[in-house]
Amino acid sequence: MHGIRSGPRSLFSGLAIVAMVATACNSSVSPSSSSAPAASTVAVASATPAPAITPAPIDTDQPGPNGGVVIRWFVGLGAGGQPQQFAAEQAFVDKYNSSQKDVYISLEIYNNNVAANILKTQIAAGNAPDIIGPVGVEGLNLFRDQLLDLKPLIASSAFDMTKFDPGLRTFFDLGENGATIGVPFATYPSFLWYNKALFDEAKLPLPPTKVGEQYQGKTWDMAALRELAMKLTVDKNGNDATSPGFDASNIVQWGFDMQWADNSPLAESSLFGASSFVGTDNKTAQISDAMRAGEKWFNDGVWKDHFIPNANQINSDLLAKGNEFQSGNLAMDETHSWYSCCVNPAPPAKPIVKDFGWAITPSYNGKITAKLHADTFSLLKSTKHPDAAFKALATLASSGELLAAYGAFPADPALQGAFFDTVNAQYPNVKLNWDVPKAMLAYPDVPNHQAWVPDYAKSKAAWQKFQNNYRTTSGVDIDAQLDALKQTLQGIFDAASTSG
Amino acid sequence: MSETTEALPTAVAPRTDATWLARPSIREAAWGIVFIGPWLIGLVLFTAGPMIVSLVMSLTNFDLVHPSAARFVGLDNYVRLAGDPSVIGSLIATIKFAVITIPLTMIASLGFALLLNHPKLLFKGPLRALVYMPVMIPLVASTLVWIGFLNTDTGWLNGILGALGLPRPDWINSQTWIYPALSIIGLWSIGNFMIINIAGLQSVPTELYEAARMDGAGAWTTFRRITIPLMSPVLLYNLVIVLIGTFQYFTQAYTMTNGRGDPNNATLFINLVLFREGFVFNHMGYAAAIAWLLFVIVLGLTLVLFAVARKRVYYAGGER
Repeated sequence: MHGIRSGPRSLFSGLAIVAMVATACNSSVSPSSSSAPAASTVAVASATPAPAITPAPIDTDQPGPNGGVVIRWFVGLGAGGQPQQFAAEQAFVDKYNSSQKDVYISLEIYNNNVAANILKTQIAAGNAPDIIGPVGVEGLNLFRDQLLDLKPLIASSAFDMTKFDPGLRTFFDLGENGATIGVPFATYPSFLWYNKALFDEAKLPLPPTKVGEQYQGKTWDMAALRELAMKLTVDKNGNDATSPGFDASNIVQWGFDMQWADNSPLAESSLFGASSFVGTDNKTAQISDAMRAGEKWFNDGVWKDHFIPNANQINSDLLAKGNEFQSGNLAMDETHSWYSCCVNPAPPAKPIVKDFGWAITPSYNGKITAKLHADTFSLLKSTKHPDAAFKALATLASSGELLAAYGAFPADPALQGAFFDTVNAQYPNVKLNWDVPKAMLAYPDVPNHQAWVPDYAKSKAAWQKFQNNYRTTSGVDIDAQLDALKQTLQGIFDAASTSG
Repeated sequence: MSETTEALPTAVAPRTDATWLARPSIREAAWGIVFIGPWLIGLVLFTAGPMIVSLVMSLTNFDLVHPSAARFVGLDNYVRLAGDPSVIGSLIATIKFAVITIPLTMIASLGFALLLNHPKLLFKGPLRALVYMPVMIPLVASTLVWIGFLNTDTGWLNGILGALGLPRPDWINSQTWIYPALSIIGLWSIGNFMIINIAGLQSVPTELYEAARMDGAGAWTTFRRITIPLMSPVLLYNLVIVLIGTFQYFTQAYTMTNGRGDPNNATLFINLVLFREGFVFNHMGYAAAIAWLLFVIVLGLTLVLFAVARKRVYYAGGER
C-alpha cells in the first residue's frame, strides 16, 4: 500500500522540485551571450520608457557583427551616464560600427554612482573593458596604475596633438612616471557666475568680464569679491551684511559660494593659488600658504562675514538643497562651464534665475587661478587590442556629437563654435559671453585640485572631513585643523608607501 | 504522512539496508531535505559560499583594483583591526546608537501594538495600515525626506519647535543630536515590529485576562504579569532582529552624509567602515576581516540574548 501510494507522490514531488529549481535558476541566469549582438549594447528606450543601461555580455574573443575587433567602451565614470545622453552615445556607436570593419565598439553605460565600483569588480574578475570615459582627473586617479601609456600609440597613429592648446597637450600626463593616460577631449574652465537680478536689485555694477578690468575703481581680487559678496548678502528684513542691523540668524540671500566643489579644500583654496597636499617627492604631506589663506577666507566668509552659506543653509530649501545658484538666492558662484547643465530646474518646474552672466575669476596677490576640469578617454593596460582600442578612442575624442551631448567645452578649438551654439540655444533669453570661459582657460590650476596623491580615496575622505567640519561648526581653528589634517595625510601616505 | 506511519507493520523480519531506508522517519527526513533542497542550494551557493570566500579573503591583502598583487597575510588584517581607530571608533558609535535606538524601537513598537490592538479602538485596520505604510517606502527616499524635515533652518520639526519657543537643535550636524535624529527616523518604520507584536498580543488567551480581572488585577498588573510574559518569545524575536539591524545599520547614515560619517565620525558605523574599506579604499581583504568581526560580535550578542532568554522567556509548550 505504501509503495502504491508513494509512487505517484514521488513522481509529482520530483516534478515539482525540478520546476522549482528550474524557476529559481532561470531568474538568476544572465542573458545568453549568444543573443543578438544588438542586445549587447545599450537598449535605448523605444518600447519601454526606462532604458536599460547594463548591457548583456559580449564575447570579445570573437569578431563583432561588422567583422571588426570587439572593443568594450565603458561609460559612467564621468559624463555620459545620464539617460538623456544614451541616444547620442548609441547613435555614435551605430554610426561608427557601420562605417568601418576594423573595430566593433560594444557600449556599456553605468550609473555614475556605481560605475567606479563596477569597473573595480570587472578588473578584479579579469573582465575589464578596453576604453573608459569620458572620465575626469579624479576618476583617472582611482585607476591610475591600471591605465595604458598612450604616448607610443599617439606617435604610431600620428594622432594630431598640435590642434590643442599647448597647456592641454600635456595635461593628461598624469599616469605613473608621467605616462600620458588620456588625450584632450573636453575642458571645463571655471569662472564667476552671477545672478543679474540680484545685482540690479542691489543697484551694484556687474563684475568684470575682461582680465585686468577693475571693479568700482579697485582691483578685482578676493578682497573686492568679499566686499561685494557682503553687499549682496541680505537678511529677511532687507539689511545687507555690511549694515549694523544685519540679522545673521535670518539670512535669505547669500553673496558667494563655490558650489558643488565636492567638499574639497583644494578646490576652494585654488582661488588663492593652486596647491597639492603632497610634495614633489610624492611622499611628504604639506599644507600650502594658499591653502591656509583660502580656507581662512572661506571660514570667515561663513561664520564671521556670513556671505557664504554654511552646510545647513546649503542643504535647505532656501538654496534648493544644494543647487545654490539655481535657487535664485545666491548672487555669485565660482564654478565650471559644465554648470550650464543645471541653472534651470528640470521641467515642469520653471526657471528661477532668468538672467545670469559670467565674470572673470578674481585674483589673489595679482594672480588669477581658475581651476580646470577636463574629461578624456583612457585605455586600460589589460586591453588585448591596444591599436584597435586607440583607433576607437581617437574617434570618440574627436566627436562633436558626443561633446554636444555631454555639454562639454571642446578641447579642440575647431569644435567650439558648435558647442557655443548648443548652449546658447538652451538659454535663449540670456546673453552668454563666451570670451570669459575662453579667457579663463589660460589660468588653470597647476597642480590641478584633483591631482593624484597617495591612496587618493582615503586622502580625499580625510580632507573632505576637514572641509565639512568648518562648514558645519563655527569657531574652528583653521590652522590647527589643517595641521591635524597634514598629520593624518602623512599617516595615509606612509601607509600607502609601505603597502605599495 | 501520519497515515502512512500508522499503516506500517510493527514487527518485521531481519532488517536490511533497504528496509532501514524504508523506515517512515528516514523517508520523512529524506523528503524534507528534498523539499528544502532549493533553499539549501541557495544557502550553499549564495550565503555559505561567499562566507567561506570572505573568510579566505580576510587572510589576504586582496585589493579590487590590483587583484594579481593579492598575497596571503595570515592574521595581519585581524591584528590591524585591534588597533585601527576608525574601527574602534565605529564600534563605539554603533554601540552609542544601539543604546538609544534599540529600547526606543522596542518600546514604541510595543506601545503602538497595544494601542492599535485595543478593543475599544475604532478604525483599527486603516490605522494599522497607516503606521505600517512607511515600511514600504524605499529607505533612501524616506531618508532624503527626513533630511529636509530635520534641517535646522528650514525643517518642519524645528519650525514647530521654534513656534513653541523651544530650542532648534542642529539635528544632522551635531554630534549630540545626530543619534536622536536617526532614532526618530527609525521610529518612522517600526511597522514590521508593530505587526509582529500585534500578532503576539492576539495569541494571548483572553481567559487569562478575564481571570486576572476577576482577581482584581489592574491594567498595569495585567500587562506586567500576563501580557509581557506571554509576549516574551515575540519580544525576544523582535529584539534579536532589531539588534542585528542596528549593527548592520548603513543606508540612512550613508545617504545623510554621503558615506563620510559626519558629524565628526559620529555616523561612521561599523558597516559604513566596512563598505568604505572595501569599495572606496579598495582594501577588500581588510573589509572582509571587518565583516567577520561584525559577524562574531552579532553572533555573540545573539547568543547572550538566547542565554538570558532561557530564564526570562516563557514558552507555553515548554522550553525551546
